[in-house]
Amino acid sequence: MKRLFAFSAVFYCLGIILISLTRISFWLILGLGIVTFAAACLSFRNNHIFVALVFLLSLILGALSLKNSYMRHKCNISNFVFYNDDTIYGLSGFVDSQPVTENKRTSFVFRTQEVQVNNLKWLCNGKVLVKMDFPQNLSYADSLILQGVLRRPYGFSSGSYSYRDYLSRQEIYLLMHIKNSLQIIPQLNKGGSRLIIFSLWLRSRMEQVISRYLPVLPAGILSAMVLGQKNSIPWLVKDYMVKSGTVHILVVSGFNVGIVAFIVNLLLKIIRIRRRQRIILTIICLFIYCLITGASNPVIRATVMGVVFLSAYLLKRGADIYNCLACAALFILGVNPRQLFDVGFQLSFASVLAIIYLYPKIKSFLRLDNCKNGALKFICEGCLVSLCAWFGTMGIIAYNFRIIAPVTVLANILIVPLATLITLCGFSLVLCGFFCPFFGGIFSTTAAMLITLLLNINAAVIKIPGAYFYL
Amino acid sequence: MLNFTPEEKRVILFLLIIAFCGITLNNLAKVNYRIKKLICPQVHLAKIDLNKISLEELTRTRCLPIKTAQRIISYRLQHGNFSSLEALKEVKGIGDQRYEKLKGIFFVE
Repeated sequence: MKRLFAFSAVFYCLGIILISLTRISFWLILGLGIVTFAAACLSFRNNHIFVALVFLLSLILGALSLKNSYMRHKCNISNFVFYNDDTIYGLSGFVDSQPVTENKRTSFVFRTQEVQVNNLKWLCNGKVLVKMDFPQNLSYADSLILQGVLRRPYGFSSGSYSYRDYLSRQEIYLLMHIKNSLQIIPQLNKGGSRLIIFSLWLRSRMEQVISRYLPVLPAGILSAMVLGQKNSIPWLVKDYMVKSGTVHILVVSGFNVGIVAFIVNLLLKIIRIRRRQRIILTIICLFIYCLITGASNPVIRATVMGVVFLSAYLLKRGADIYNCLACAALFILGVNPRQLFDVGFQLSFASVLAIIYLYPKIKSFLRLDNCKNGALKFICEGCLVSLCAWFGTMGIIAYNFRIIAPVTVLANILIVPLATLITLCGFSLVLCGFFCPFFGGIFSTTAAMLITLLLNINAAVIKIPGAYFYL
Repeated sequence: MLNFTPEEKRVILFLLIIAFCGITLNNLAKVNYRIKKLICPQVHLAKIDLNKISLEELTRTRCLPIKTAQRIISYRLQHGNFSSLEALKEVKGIGDQRYEKLKGIFFVE
């Protein structure tokens, strides 16, 4: 079977979905898994039965991984806190995410290592979302002692969305609200991973380069498109992009990962590094880029797919796109099976799947390969990709965001080529800013002009009657 | 010499085009002020003009409760146009926290 990986991923996802709808004990599923495994071993020579049992095992594995993700460690910080508990807790640990300051408030994820309650100390683990009422200069890996009340997040349920579920998918079960800087005691030592510290340092340098050459608004948009940092994008710009169905250009995706791989490969080629070493170094750079952009689902998907493609090239094997996609899905779901219910995950995979499945079919149906006019063919192919992505994601968007935007196809035809140029300009600007800052201005002017054009087009398309409507 | 693939040659050409465009725009921006508008996005693309927005549009933005939106419009009708964004604080229902949020959404010309 050519796409064993892809089918296994489908059954793995089915296992996760089925078990989320039922209440079966972990041990019962495990027993079923052992029996299936034994049956698969016995039917080793019968290919059809063996493959069917392997798929069943994938399904059981998916179910088991979801059940396992629900189980918290005995020392998890959430096990120390009772409902409506007003006790003051002292938490030792380190900052586990890059702190975000917005509206004079700072928030970050805190990884706990020790908890103190009433002069008694226990070792603990798990994450807490910390929200502070004041801006504080903190960075990833800073060791701190925090003192405050721990609360469980509220549901805030509106339709299918729940804030509590959103946080629990990130394995955050508690919130700490800090009102006074006296509740924070900085420590000298550092926690966290050195690789992440390095990636975040690199990201901040890149952001500095972008903001050095561009005005605030274009710099914010370019940071989102190149580095995945969406904090400084104005609300109105995001709103317009949601309405026109082009918000995906603000997300770092496979295209960006492809550009990084291409640039690294080209630079290494220029300094005459051999092909094998070049591929290995490119894979390492892709990992670092993934960390720089915050390792969100679309980036992880694109990175894993890129790594599988490059590895296939290294091993002189052909890479199947469906197997690559399945590999990426299994990687993300293996780490955290609850990501299957994350909208970002669904949109990312649905759009790629729709493009790789529908695009060749529609293209051959319309006989685009016979078209001799290069420009027309290029435009038609662009339209088709947008149309396929829209088909793939329309249902998820309508269900989650209650919006249908027929203008999406038109907007994407106009905006995606521009976004491609902007991203390329962005990467050129960042590289120039690092290696020859004198030339940075050349790329920044073009990038700023393209961003202005993009914003104008976006604002214009949503004014078309019937461009979008809320459900 | 290095043997570049067609894709790599395209990238090199692309970089050169971008560089030419950048230099030309830089030059034009120095000579003609209007070109600057092409390079720097206008504020109305990123923020909403508080003195021009209607009640319907304001409620459609979903960034304010309907009652607060009504209060903003009635304040504008009573006192005339907002002279600065700080004046939003005088509207009932807009405290420091909400004002910080709204600062990123609205502007006053």
